[in-house]
Amino acid sequence: MRRVPTEVVLLAAVVAVVGAFAVLPAGELFARSVGDAGGARAISGVLADPVTRRTFSNSLLQGGLSAACAVAVGYPAGVFAGRYRWWGRETVRAALLLPFLLPSLVMVLGVLDLFGPSGLLGSPVPTVRWFSSGVPGVVAVNLFYNVPIVVVLTATGCEASSSALEESVASLGGSPARAYLESWARPSWVGAGCGALLTFVFSALSFAPPILLCGSRCTTVEVRVYELAEVFGEPATAGVLALVLVLAFLVPALVYVLLVRRLRPARGRTSFARPPPWDAATTWALAAVFVAVVAAELALVLAVVFRSIVAVGGGPVGRGWALLGSPSTATRLGISVGGAVGNTLFFASLAAGIGIVLATATSFVTARRPQVATALGVVLFVPVLLSPVVLAQALATFWKPIVGGATNIWVLIVLSQALLGLPFAVQSLEIPLAGLPRAGAESAETLGASSWGAYVDAELPRVRRGIQTAVLFAFALGLGEFTATNFLVTPRFVTLPVAVYTLTDARLFAAAGAAAALLLLLSLIVFALIVASGVDERE
Amino acid sequence: MSASRPLLEVEGVSASWGRTEVVRRVSFQVAPGETLTLLGPNGSGKTTLLRVIAGFEPPTAGTVRLEGLDLARVPPHRRSIGLLFQEPALFPHRSVLENIAYAPLLQRRSPGEIRSLVQQLSALLSLDRLLDRSPEHLSGGEQQRVALARTLAARPKLVLLDEPFASVDVQVRAGLLAEFRTALREFGAAAIHVTHDREEGLFLGDRLALIFDGTLVAVGSPAEVFARPDSDRTARFLGYNLLPGPDGLVAVLPDDLIARVPSGNDRTYTVRASGPVGRRFLTVLEGADGDRVELRSDSPLSVGSTMALSWARGVPLREASGGSSPVEPKCLTAMRAS
Repeated sequence: MRRVPTEVVLLAAVVAVVGAFAVLPAGELFARSVGDAGGARAISGVLADPVTRRTFSNSLLQGGLSAACAVAVGYPAGVFAGRYRWWGRETVRAALLLPFLLPSLVMVLGVLDLFGPSGLLGSPVPTVRWFSSGVPGVVAVNLFYNVPIVVVLTATGCEASSSALEESVASLGGSPARAYLESWARPSWVGAGCGALLTFVFSALSFAPPILLCGSRCTTVEVRVYELAEVFGEPATAGVLALVLVLAFLVPALVYVLLVRRLRPARGRTSFARPPPWDAATTWALAAVFVAVVAAELALVLAVVFRSIVAVGGGPVGRGWALLGSPSTATRLGISVGGAVGNTLFFASLAAGIGIVLATATSFVTARRPQVATALGVVLFVPVLLSPVVLAQALATFWKPIVGGATNIWVLIVLSQALLGLPFAVQSLEIPLAGLPRAGAESAETLGASSWGAYVDAELPRVRRGIQTAVLFAFALGLGEFTATNFLVTPRFVTLPVAVYTLTDARLFAAAGAAAALLLLLSLIVFALIVASGVDERE
Repeated sequence: MSASRPLLEVEGVSASWGRTEVVRRVSFQVAPGETLTLLGPNGSGKTTLLRVIAGFEPPTAGTVRLEGLDLARVPPHRRSIGLLFQEPALFPHRSVLENIAYAPLLQRRSPGEIRSLVQQLSALLSLDRLLDRSPEHLSGGEQQRVALARTLAARPKLVLLDEPFASVDVQVRAGLLAEFRTALREFGAAAIHVTHDREEGLFLGDRLALIFDGTLVAVGSPAEVFARPDSDRTARFLGYNLLPGPDGLVAVLPDDLIARVPSGNDRTYTVRASGPVGRRFLTVLEGADGDRVELRSDSPLSVGSTMALSWARGVPLREASGGSSPVEPKCLTAMRAS
């Protein structure tokens, strides 16, 4: 009997997992919702609703503004990070991913701690309070959250350009500006474009920032779906709106998937970082923007930690931490803070495990069958496109009865976390793999290794940092995932991000700040462990 | 080298990758219109030296001057130095014609001048029929011809060739070498050609410089350098056998060795392999201490037989380099003195 190639088996397995836990439940949710709401007319009905239309325009405004500002700041910073070599570059670049991995709730608290009326900056400089509420506040949170990803993707784009082409332009008499246009403008803007699209999608579908900083006038579609399903008891309308949401964001999501595939190293020699030409004013300008980005992110993180120790309005130092550990907080959360930490770490570990297995399999498939890479990229992006709330709603409706109801709901929490982080884990692995010459794997195959064996023996060991980044992404996205988890969670399985939200919602800001700082510290520990394990490979 | 003022002067140049010094106090000159070949094994610092001259890597010491002007603060695009890589690095989104016309357009030359330049170069490098094509649809050899045409169209004072034939099929390499040589001479461009291929280096260069471990060990005309290797390492790299003579080691070319039946106290060698290479036969022999010798003869030798060796011509070696001696070659000292 003819043996089925390993990549086909793995392709089928990956598609089956995403199909079973995202496409199938979402499809069933949409079909049932449209049926219950009165067929195709339900869609036009939802679109005609003035509240829905307002939420759509809010989503577009917040997404568009955030994306434009993120690129304006992130592109120059990304160019500095991608093209120049300076001390500590790798560590700072890896650290820049940290804000992207934190729940947006922590960002909200950070913005309030910095720019709010009692904030570290907002208190002495009243004009900056403008950034602590309303649309400016929401955009500020989105920027803190997304600028790092624009920086990292732009830097990746810079590194993917052909240095031979750039040097050819220079040796033909072309100025640095001409070399930029001919050689590295395109890949760097592909990177920035990917960052802009992600910023747009994440900001347009953001959940916590508009609720906490702006209230009902800034509600996004994501919030509206949640409200309809959980607050107003209209699951059918929520399902129809979710379908409209998916259709509306299909185009930017597809463009992102297509674009990110072009973020691969050029053939031959690619750009390598060089010492910054400090005699050029442009270098100083790029460096200044980069330093400003790093300083802003650092300030936000420090503000969260500071506020967890010194609460607003005085009181004893460390009151937030004491409150967080108190029995009353445990009663409110339904679980002790230790239990929440345990849940968070347990779910994130399992999600990272599932994520790295799926990412390794996916990268193998795309390396051996590049013709299916784009289609597979689209499939993997489905959970993100569905948005966390819709994914959670679909999982809860379809799978909750099958897995055994509330008792085993943690299985669905883990799966949702793994699926939402999967596209980013895959990219972390695919990009360095694409830069490897095929000769290594082909040599292993000629020595008798199977295709999978060659991948494991000859290719994976050469992209150790990619694997570490993939694990980091999968783990940290699980650690900070709030929206889907909040939708699915029962008191027994409360995680730290859910605890932050519950405490914020109950106006217990000191305890919420301590919970946010705890989450931040956990992320920092994970980050430090992964960076430390990758140090030997950097040079 | 001609007595006229040198076009390029490289003096005491060193360069490093991280903490490793890969080019060590290298000095040489290139005359206008001259082609200098830098020949050396992989990892000997050839490409780094070229990149320093082009301005893509900063030297850690020394100076590079073009027509007397110190290039230390001149950016690559203002140096008037063309660079050709192993990969042609053509603009994939431009046609062959647009690639060739790229630099003249940057230089704001008149349309008539550009047209005649493109015609001249495309005729010289047999590109007439390819002008409308996309570079992606060309063979490796064709792409390299376009890359050279594009470089020469910029009218550089110096062209740096970084192993441009390495990825070209062997069958077309000789023809391409001839075309490059003609084109460089026709345009009067001086060139530094970097290669690890002995034959390529000997063929293309007016002068030859040998580089080992970042150090120049010999500079002279190809015939001169080839005929007088001054160390065992140089001799081996140039394809000589090293054999013990009465006053030390002697470098002998495979064609100059004669195999005969041993007698008396002759040093003997065992034939390990023998087979045809074109009209002649290549034989590999092994001495008692494991040293290998290559011999070319008109007839094959029987494998396993024991032979003694003598030679019609040999070069006595004065120095055994041992690998990385930074001793300045005598010809370079002589060149400086001149």
